[in-house]
Amino acid sequence: MDFQGIHDHLRAIEAPGLVRADEPRLPNPEDKKDKGRSGDAYVVVEAAQLASFLRVCRDDERLAFEILADLTAADPAKDAEEFWVIVQLLSVQHRHRLAIKALVPKASARIPSATGVYRAAQWHERECAEMFGIEFVGHPDPRNILLPDDWEGYPLRKDYVFPTEYRGISCQ
Amino acid sequence: MLNPIVTGAALVAEAPAQGGNLTLDLLREHAPAALPGWSLPLITALISVVIVITVISLLAMVSVWLERKVSGHIQCRYGPMYAGGWHGWAQSIADGVKLLMKEDMIPLGSDKALFMLAPALVLGAIFGAFVAMPLAPDFYFADIHLGAFFILGMSSLTTIGVVMAGWASNSKWSLYGSMREAAQVVAYEIPLGLSLMVPLMVAGTFNLLDASAAQSDYWGMGWFVFKNPFVIPAGILFFVAALAETKRAPFDLPEAESELVAGFLTEYSGIRWSFFFMEEYAAMYLMSLMAAVFFLGGFESPVLHVARQAEWHPILCNLIAATTLIAKSMFGVLVMMWVRWTLPRVRIDQVMTMGYKYLTPLALLCALGAALWEAGKAWIFA
Amino acid sequence: MATEHKPSITFHPEPRQLPGGEREYMMDVRTGDLEVNMGPQHPATHGVMKILIRTDGEMVTAAQPHLGFLHRCAEKIGENVEWLQYLPYTDRYDYLSSMNNNLGYSMAVEKLLGVEIPRRAEMIRTICAELNRIASALVAFGTYGLDLGAFTPFLYAFREREWLLQIFEKACGARLTYSYLRIGGLFNDVPPGWLEEVAHFCDVFEEKWQEYYDLLMVNHIFVKRTADIGVITKEQALDFGLTGPMLRGSGVDFDLRRDLPYMLYGEAHDAGAWKVVVGRGEKGTLGDCWDRIYVRVAEMMQSVGIVRWCLANIEEGPVLGDIAKTLKVPEGEAYVGIENPRGELGHYAVSDGGKVAVRCRVRGPSFCNLAILEDIMPGTLLGDAVAIIGSTDVVIGETDR
Repeated sequence: MDFQGIHDHLRAIEAPGLVRADEPRLPNPEDKKDKGRSGDAYVVVEAAQLASFLRVCRDDERLAFEILADLTAADPAKDAEEFWVIVQLLSVQHRHRLAIKALVPKASARIPSATGVYRAAQWHERECAEMFGIEFVGHPDPRNILLPDDWEGYPLRKDYVFPTEYRGISCQ
Repeated sequence: MLNPIVTGAALVAEAPAQGGNLTLDLLREHAPAALPGWSLPLITALISVVIVITVISLLAMVSVWLERKVSGHIQCRYGPMYAGGWHGWAQSIADGVKLLMKEDMIPLGSDKALFMLAPALVLGAIFGAFVAMPLAPDFYFADIHLGAFFILGMSSLTTIGVVMAGWASNSKWSLYGSMREAAQVVAYEIPLGLSLMVPLMVAGTFNLLDASAAQSDYWGMGWFVFKNPFVIPAGILFFVAALAETKRAPFDLPEAESELVAGFLTEYSGIRWSFFFMEEYAAMYLMSLMAAVFFLGGFESPVLHVARQAEWHPILCNLIAATTLIAKSMFGVLVMMWVRWTLPRVRIDQVMTMGYKYLTPLALLCALGAALWEAGKAWIFA
Repeated sequence: MATEHKPSITFHPEPRQLPGGEREYMMDVRTGDLEVNMGPQHPATHGVMKILIRTDGEMVTAAQPHLGFLHRCAEKIGENVEWLQYLPYTDRYDYLSSMNNNLGYSMAVEKLLGVEIPRRAEMIRTICAELNRIASALVAFGTYGLDLGAFTPFLYAFREREWLLQIFEKACGARLTYSYLRIGGLFNDVPPGWLEEVAHFCDVFEEKWQEYYDLLMVNHIFVKRTADIGVITKEQALDFGLTGPMLRGSGVDFDLRRDLPYMLYGEAHDAGAWKVVVGRGEKGTLGDCWDRIYVRVAEMMQSVGIVRWCLANIEEGPVLGDIAKTLKVPEGEAYVGIENPRGELGHYAVSDGGKVAVRCRVRGPSFCNLAILEDIMPGTLLGDAVAIIGSTDVVIGETDR
């Protein structure tokens, strides 16, 4: 199925937490400020419902997203209100992909863990947690994965200030 | 394991000077009269020790170089090419010098005394085993009645050194290595000894000189492999068990470099490490020499037969005999190298299964078959 | 996996009275589990990875990978350098398949830019990516032999790899970190005679491949060491998000090059130039170590097929699309997953219309493939553990990025 088909099907089965679809568009020639948007289409999902949404995507026969290809987050701007949590799903059976975006408020960055649905999410969530400070509620093993256990701060946030030293080692 | 050692030591102590020892004879003839008679065997022993250590060390160094050349040519490369000029012949010397100059490292928390003792014990044991190994019919260091027995006992003493090294290193990988070595050697001592029983039965003696002499008939081609059909499978079993005994691939589990870093060798460096290395090559030669004596006719070959018939000078005959023996053992060593650079390593449970479930019963069958064959032969020709 | 520390030898507090009247102190040697750090400097971890394993004798009862020793902040760097400047950093995650990494990143940015790639550039990109796949599979094959104690196949594999590296050197001047495929096409056209040399390589490699197969893959000891070891079921493989040869080794017939075709792979597949290799459980159980390594080895020949198809269909033309010196990428976000030698390499790029990325995410296949170790390693022997780690074919540069 293409993106339109997947979105229609998600609407039809009333997938939990589905907010809207966001598709790339060409710039409006009449409005000079509008530059359009390029790249992928994705669906926006309520953060609190992400895990149950993923479960539906995995279990629905026509979607059958068996593989969670990627789970990551992004901090769009320093003054943005929300983080994005982006999930890339892949269906081996139907050979289609789906990008899912959940918006997580920076003030209380919490989102249910998807590890119960896809075990592939486990390490990706650990990485997100240490890089962005997003808490994945219900994660079975919430330790740092790439950074040292005592690393302070969340490096991929836009407001991150690089430390001058780590355990007596100069980082300059 | 200690039993054969004690027995062997006792055998050496009471080994009678049977005469025929070339060194002793020469000394008796040519020594200045000022030397008291009792000192002559002592001097002989000293000379023997020096010769054993020199010859074996040289052989080990040559075979280290040879191994590198053989592996190189198997793997589409040349191996050492620069040190010394011709095909890097001096590579081992250069390595030896380098290893001597390295810092003597003893890891913190290791059992220092055992750590230092282990390489010496390993090397001492393997040199000790060579005492019973004749190089030529009239050139040997100790003519021991139970020579084969003594050699097996001494060579298994090296295991104690390896276990000691693994324990003393205070490293988990070393401990794994030494435990594997202990398990493996215990498993393979049995088929090794049993498969050696077969030619021993044909020879009717444990003495290596006598065993070799027993193969001199049929123009020097009366080898045990031709005399009894069960010696051939026994020889294959002996070779496999000897590979395991000497920790050579595919049975190099005690030092499996991809699994245990370097096993019992992990914490060793410099000259102590090279002691273990020398032991490995010396053990390869020891096993190949045993195989040469008991399976491949010892000193005997048509050349030696002709030389004897023509009554050439005894020294020349001895030289021919020694060359024959070393050439035969070199063949064994080369096959070991060939195997090492061809096969992957087996797993520890597969090693154990093979030793206990297949090699031991097969060796027993061979021994039984050989015994029946010999008994039948004796009955028919009686 | 923290355990309380117990002394390995404990004394019974009460001495025992022997019939003769002496008192005997009993010592009780505890045979407990041993926790061993496999790595970060262990030959079998293929780099600086640590696997904390708990063993009962030779039996592994628990395993836990620890990553991050080679973390080089690739994603953070991506947010601080310009789009084109980031390309050389992509070489460094999976340093054995740099061409493919360049390709993935370039495709992600090209998707945002919406540029057209000249056909000759696509052809040469495909050739380079596939030759790099062969070079990478040769390392996987060689080091796997090394893990199992066979040294010789490693050097045989490196003989052919050396030739490949020379071919790459002729094209772009680098042997490992190429940065040859760039956003919009190629850095430059290939030198004269290069395509002929590639064709010659394909001919020679076909013979050598059979040699490798006979030398290692069907070796009795090798089969005994890998068959039925580290079995990953189909369900497990999908659940853990395994991709590439790990997934196909478990019997899932899925290859991004065929099923979500990009560049010219779909065209080549339709022309019958190659097919997807799937593990069949030939020597043991489906999804064991042998199947995984078999998929890698067999894929080398499929890559040769793709390269041959490209060589037959290549035409003259430009090799670089219409790309500005200083790239300004339109606003948007794009995820591009391509079939790397180790699985799906995903690049997720977010642009706000500026010269620098807002987010530059890399989904490394080794990172995802490694997570399954925790599941399949317990219950195997120490030697099997090495075989399993080797069969995942991790490149630490990619797990840690």
